[in-house]
Amino acid sequence: MRAAARLDTVPRLLEGIVRFRSSDRLRLAGPPPDTLNDHLQRYGHRPRRSAQESISALATAGLSGRGGAHFRAAAKWQTTLAAGGGGYVVANAAEGEPCSAKDAALLQHRPHLVLDGLATAAEALGARGSVVWLHEHARESQEAISRALAERRASGLIESPVRVLTGPDRYLTGESSAVINALGGGPAVPVFTRTPAARAGLGGLPTLVQNAETLARVALLARTNGYGEQPGPLVTIVSPGTLTVAELSPYATVEDILRPVDTVLVGGYAGRWVRWPALAGQPLGGLVPDLGPGVIAPLPPDACGLTETAAVLDYLARSSARQCGPCLFGTRALADTMARVADGTARRADVRRIAGLIGEVGGRGACGLPDGAAQVTGTALAVFADDVDRHLHGRCLHPGAEPFLPIPVGHR
Amino acid sequence: MKLLVDPVACDGIGMCSHLAPALVNPDSWGYPIVSGETLGETDLRAARAAVAACPRRALLLDDVPRSGRQTAPVERK
Repeated sequence: MRAAARLDTVPRLLEGIVRFRSSDRLRLAGPPPDTLNDHLQRYGHRPRRSAQESISALATAGLSGRGGAHFRAAAKWQTTLAAGGGGYVVANAAEGEPCSAKDAALLQHRPHLVLDGLATAAEALGARGSVVWLHEHARESQEAISRALAERRASGLIESPVRVLTGPDRYLTGESSAVINALGGGPAVPVFTRTPAARAGLGGLPTLVQNAETLARVALLARTNGYGEQPGPLVTIVSPGTLTVAELSPYATVEDILRPVDTVLVGGYAGRWVRWPALAGQPLGGLVPDLGPGVIAPLPPDACGLTETAAVLDYLARSSARQCGPCLFGTRALADTMARVADGTARRADVRRIAGLIGEVGGRGACGLPDGAAQVTGTALAVFADDVDRHLHGRCLHPGAEPFLPIPVGHR
Repeated sequence: MKLLVDPVACDGIGMCSHLAPALVNPDSWGYPIVSGETLGETDLRAARAAVAACPRRALLLDDVPRSGRQTAPVERK
């Protein structure tokens, strides 16, 4: 009876909002973290599910990977299972996208939900090892997950042991082939492979790398068998200096949550610039794949979209693993040319050059970094076309504007 | 069968675009852009020559394991 009553309402991943300082993802405000007791009262015990039950729950709900790529989770699990399982499962919380803090919010407020999802995956796929993968300076998240693991051990939960491991604080550290390479003792940089990790990953064994939010959703799906309404998108809203994480209703639109602006960057630095009217009336539930890792960044009225784009491209070029020629040279060339457009020193030929570079870098790396750079650039040229013209004539509407987007410093 | 580039291994040396100019175009920096089309009989011959000539073993035919690299322990007597 009690369990049935619990299913009457849509379970939530996160209540309230969590705020972070955007420069270093220091948590500024949010609800207190769940203890194991809070967690059990809120969600009940983690049910035992067979592999097929788990996979059919993921398929019924149509769960997609919330790290940003939105690959179908059910297909990934099926591949892992078909390859015989017995490998590794990884909760990926190395949140490389500087605009996103949803994984940090989950780990710091609902760590047991992520761990439930990881345990469900480990059981379904007969894993020999479970890992939570994080950035090395994400101290608060590391502490929260370690505390949660200690609570679970102390309470006598029988689960396969989980290791908490970290990699460098870089954009590509959470890229799934980079995660596997790092766990295998190599550098945390992407690897070119023709075999999906789900079939042969770490140590040649089937390896499931799944984003932390995806696993939190797995934990809820296991409880409902995939039926019933699922929690709405978990989004990070970017404003100058602050990242605000909230779970929104799938029926909400950006009009419900934001003051109107001309343009919005959706999906983060590998995402796209979109004009307000194209976005305004759309329910967020239908925009989930476009939101990438759940990022909504409205361009403030006093910011310059081309300056923002140039800063994003410079960050992506600095974040390149410098392994693939087209990315090493092309992403850098995109960044340098866009910087000239932004500062008003470019000529018309430079804009044509950017259009050509987009074609030369897209799809030509071992990972998605150059594709993301191409996409954010292409949408910037389209959406800010009038602004490009003004800049070619040496006029910026917001001269000297500093980027409002969080751009990490450092790297090459 | 289709041509495929391992972009990590590729150093843009250019043997492939030299040997199979109809199938491989060098980009602005000399790195190969391969056609994504399924290869016909004649093209396949040129493609195999280019694959075999790549000093970095970076050009591949999909469905064909990479050659020239030890994939299993060699039995010694």
